[in-house]
Amino acid sequence: MKSIDKCRALWFWYSMACVVCWGGWALLSKLGSREIPPNAMQFLFTIGTIPVAIALLIARRFRLEKSPKGISYGVLNGVLSGVGGLALFAAYHTNSNTSLITAATALYPMVTVLLAVVILRERFRPIQALGLIFAAIAIVIFSL
Amino acid sequence: MHVPPWLWYSAITLIAWGVVGLLQKLSTNYISAESSLIWLVVGFLLLQPFLNTGIAVIHYSAWNLTWASLSGVLNALGAWALFAALKSGGKASIVAPLTALYPLIVIVLVPFVLHESITRLQGVGVVCALVAVVLLST
Repeated sequence: MKSIDKCRALWFWYSMACVVCWGGWALLSKLGSREIPPNAMQFLFTIGTIPVAIALLIARRFRLEKSPKGISYGVLNGVLSGVGGLALFAAYHTNSNTSLITAATALYPMVTVLLAVVILRERFRPIQALGLIFAAIAIVIFSL
Repeated sequence: MHVPPWLWYSAITLIAWGVVGLLQKLSTNYISAESSLIWLVVGFLLLQPFLNTGIAVIHYSAWNLTWASLSGVLNALGAWALFAALKSGGKASIVAPLTALYPLIVIVLVPFVLHESITRLQGVGVVCALVAVVLLST
């Protein structure tokens, strides 16, 4: 029983570590964007991600799955994430309110949910519909 | 209704990352989450030649260069921690909405670090956004 509790605590703390890391990422992105233009921010950001990718490669003993589909999706994810990152750095570079930009860009799951329903034919759940309504209210308020 | 420039940029981010969310679901059907992160960084690297930064990049202040590259480290570490949370028994339906709350850290720290404030109405918008993110990731 104790070990189960320990495990539960472990996933919770990993989740908290994720929140702290991503919060730090957004804040540091803003700090850097005050001076550095979006293209240079994305360039430097990518340099920062390399050590973590190398650490993961070492942890996996350089063994990666050889699925062409998986690799293609993974690389495409990187390209699109980079494009999204560039736009985020551009938004921060406008010197507008950091909290609003961070909250607005965190709404990206709404696009994922819509695409998953349309493309993957996933079930559209009432809780997600409620989420979309809140997202729409937030976006309207931000645009006022 | 005048849409401020930052909201247009944010819309591009929303769409790009929204598609990434979908592709991530598809990629992890074929490869592990860790491999997916490694190939994600390869995708980042493919963009580097098009960013056209040149040597000018080293002329920015040392602090801002540090913040920019450290933001990359933290972003990738955050993704790693998310995978670790899922691997150590965290349910995706709990871990995803929990980790989606990262803007809270920014909102709490911004008044102290950047001395920015928001209006009451914008505060309502931020709360709506956070509720939306939790509901959408559940």
